[in-house]
Amino acid sequence: MIPAPFRYHRATSVEDALEALREPDSKALAGGMSLLPLMKLRIGRPELVVDLGRLELAGIERADGAYAIGALTTWDALSRVEELRGEGLEAIADCARGIGDLQVRNRGTIGGGLAHADPAADMPAVAVALGLELVARSAEGERTIAASDFFLGPFTTALAAGELVTAVRVPAPPPGSGSAYAKVEHPASGFALAGAAALVTPAGARVALTGIAGGPVPVADPEAGFGGIEVYGDRFAGEEYRRHLARVVVRRALERARARAEGRGS
Amino acid sequence: MTEVIGVPRPRIDAPEKVTGATRYAADGWVHGLLHARLVLSTEAHALIRAIDVEAAREVPGVVAVLTAADLPTATDASDRTAEPLAREEVVFAGQPIAIVVAETEAAAEDGAELVAVELEPLDVVVDVEAAMAPGAPLARRPSEGAGGDLESIHAGVDHGEEDEPAEPLSANVLGRVRRSAGDVAAAFAVSAAVVEGTFRTPWVYQAYLEPQTATAWQEPNGTLVVSTSTQGSFVTRSELARAFGLPEDRIRVVAEPLGGAFGGKFALIEPLAAGAALALGRPVRLALTRTEDFLSMNPVSAQVTHLRIGALEDGTLTGLEARMIVDRGANAGWGLEGITSSLVAGPYRWQAHDVVGYGVLTNRFTFGAYRGPGAPAAAFALETLLDELAAALGLDPIELRLRNAVVEGDVAISGTPYATIGAVEVLERIREHPLWAARHELPEGEGVGIAVGHWPGGNEPAAAVCRVDKDGTMTIVTSAVDMSGVSTGFAAIAAATFGLEPEKVRVVLADTASGPYAGASGGSKVTYTVGTAVLRAAAAAREKLLAAASEELEIAPDDLEVVDGVVRAAGAPDRSITVAEIASKALRFGGRYEPIEGHGGSAQTSGAPSVAAHLAHVRVDRETGEVAVLRHVVAQDVGRALNPALVQGQMRGGVAQGVGWALYEELVHDEHGRLLTTSFMEYAIPNAERVPEIETLIVEVPAPDGPFGAKGIGEAPVVGAPAAIVNAVAAATGARLRELPMTPARVWSALHEQTR
Repeated sequence: MIPAPFRYHRATSVEDALEALREPDSKALAGGMSLLPLMKLRIGRPELVVDLGRLELAGIERADGAYAIGALTTWDALSRVEELRGEGLEAIADCARGIGDLQVRNRGTIGGGLAHADPAADMPAVAVALGLELVARSAEGERTIAASDFFLGPFTTALAAGELVTAVRVPAPPPGSGSAYAKVEHPASGFALAGAAALVTPAGARVALTGIAGGPVPVADPEAGFGGIEVYGDRFAGEEYRRHLARVVVRRALERARARAEGRGS
Repeated sequence: MTEVIGVPRPRIDAPEKVTGATRYAADGWVHGLLHARLVLSTEAHALIRAIDVEAAREVPGVVAVLTAADLPTATDASDRTAEPLAREEVVFAGQPIAIVVAETEAAAEDGAELVAVELEPLDVVVDVEAAMAPGAPLARRPSEGAGGDLESIHAGVDHGEEDEPAEPLSANVLGRVRRSAGDVAAAFAVSAAVVEGTFRTPWVYQAYLEPQTATAWQEPNGTLVVSTSTQGSFVTRSELARAFGLPEDRIRVVAEPLGGAFGGKFALIEPLAAGAALALGRPVRLALTRTEDFLSMNPVSAQVTHLRIGALEDGTLTGLEARMIVDRGANAGWGLEGITSSLVAGPYRWQAHDVVGYGVLTNRFTFGAYRGPGAPAAAFALETLLDELAAALGLDPIELRLRNAVVEGDVAISGTPYATIGAVEVLERIREHPLWAARHELPEGEGVGIAVGHWPGGNEPAAAVCRVDKDGTMTIVTSAVDMSGVSTGFAAIAAATFGLEPEKVRVVLADTASGPYAGASGGSKVTYTVGTAVLRAAAAAREKLLAAASEELEIAPDDLEVVDGVVRAAGAPDRSITVAEIASKALRFGGRYEPIEGHGGSAQTSGAPSVAAHLAHVRVDRETGEVAVLRHVVAQDVGRALNPALVQGQMRGGVAQGVGWALYEELVHDEHGRLLTTSFMEYAIPNAERVPEIETLIVEVPAPDGPFGAKGIGEAPVVGAPAAIVNAVAAATGARLRELPMTPARVWSALHEQTR
């Protein structure tokens, strides 16, 4: 449980972090809730760890009809933020509240969690369903990546080497919207066996699943089912059971999102 | 007068534990200490062809890389004490092959990953039933000698008849125990209902908070000292003496405060640390990581039980027929087949029984004990079928059990008569509970289940010393390991016996060099055996006290009483002298009285089984298969609750672990015998959010030979808890699960079957 030797750099600014992250085999450290266990098991062996902990990248701002969530905002903070309670953004707090345990929620961050791209992580499904965008910076500049383009596979994202997620943009849904996240979790890890995020707007519904495949999966037509999606199975939850759970959580998330959109649910 | 017995008091070690001040086995410091890391086998069954240690030796800080040939072991036996590092044959994935010893933990870990082991794979045996068939591949090449005497610690049951096999079996079957009486076929023939089933329980990890840890060094005079997290200091000393061919008086075992054990801490880690320290002549600490502990230690056996039982129209139980297969893993020394084949009869009377237990070798771990070893699996099978029998006969499940519950004078199928047993009393207590009456008025998806579990308890001679100081305080010295608050119980026993306030009693848990003998902490026997020795030691000291007080007060000893540290004339309390005054007169130059001290011993021969009845209230999510235990009630016969707070703690802890058996805990290997559940990210335990409110009902049917009537109570409360939850799921859904744990997928499949 002692990591392989590595060098450590505490970033003093985003620019400083980006400069340090130009080194091959470097890793950015945010809350450390995924990176550090991997390093302790020596599965992750970065040469250089760039600690973002001192950067001022936490907090939520509103501008131009959207919210910008700082990449270092913790799950616990997200589960408590008043601004995200209404307007169809309820799924974010739903989801954050169910991640890991309190210690993990106190340390883990939205930027780190999304960039880690665990195939069973909860928030990627919310990111896809709610149409979140990731703001990525590098020495060359800044770009915005839609969540639906961000997750490429297990632990794989559209981030280029040396690129850092600095914020997550949340477009405000139209009035009369509601959203929700529902999951069935593994009793040991707390990761989703199947999790579904749903956004219901006056224009229609958008749903995404997690835990069943290599990353978040948008569900084009929830009413039609998702027979075409290849579902993963393991010894704890086989393919048939997981496919069934996916149906259950999609229905539960949709029902709750719809109720919230209609002003009924909490 | 201060009431002592029956009054709840905090544990005497509570302040240091809740403030984090307790020094556990990994916290002590020895000058020149080295740190060890293990190299574990990646194959479940293989021959070691070569071990390349050169790269590891070159890591800065690495002092040595030791393999089996480097350890000064003294026997050719192939159990884990005698062969701490695999010599030629590896028999499970996770078996230690080498030890890297370094100046720092980090260097040891850097070195361990550079040790290259070349293994030649052999046939891997992972299916315990297939392993029994003649011609099956063998989990271990045939060899001489398997040592150790650990079974007797755990339960006071015999091992049954060693039956000559009438059936062809492979050499993987190392144990076969048969218990039979009467004509089972005839008993079934006259039965109004007969039910049967096959029940499976998995390998379950003890999940102690503190991973296994030991530190070993040699004193200047050559004595080997081992400071360790263990349940038994004397048994560890004997095992080390056997492993390294040392006389017992050249070994001192110091049992440090225990961070949980539950049956899993018996002389597994000490030979590794001691072997390295003896080989290098320097202090060595081995503190396992959680994953090493999962991989290399000794969880409890998986079991397969085929059970068939019958009853007459009025509910009288008739025949019991069982075939019980115990997966020993690679443990050739002993198995749970003796214990489990005795306990499958439950605390009930049978007209005829025929039970066969098998202990079978596979390439999974080497099994160890876990709180009531063999008992939860047996109760799962029996208590499930008793509910089915009650349903078939149209009887109330508690009524069926009450009609057949053993009473004093009945004889267990092990042949041991019940000298005391509270089976009827706990069942009557649970029947009165409002939850039982309300079970038919619950919301959809909820249900209440009942089950009973018992544990026979063990015995072992023990001794204790009692000493009174000049300030009137008392010290009790024993060599027992405090696994569950027993020293707080010792203080109560000594205080009540002597006539002191319990706050004035200190308990010293001594090492093997300085304390009187006590057996290991296991088998629910410490309060029953060591507690009795403490009582006698305090009584002996009290005699010394009264002899001195009699001279001082000029009153005959028989006319004196001792109340809260004051000796006084019975009926004339103004004629008195304090314990402190008498002790002061004794403990000084030229004093006239013998020190106020006593020695007490016990050699219990009678059993004092404890029995518990459970009500579990569950809610089942029919869509996902998830089960939540909403509430749990446990009524246990404890003989006498010396300290009800500690007794309730044992009852709650047992139920919590029963929730783990029922719903969460399962060690899983792949088809090559490699463990898949190597951390708490894969292995689920009932965390605080999942343990329900537990209501404890203390029932007291005194044990004639127990201190103040107390029985050994630690193991009984886990035994019936899983079965109660199984029966509750059946009540909620109609689905009867035959395999533990009841994971969401298994429950969903069972419900799915119903609707197909």
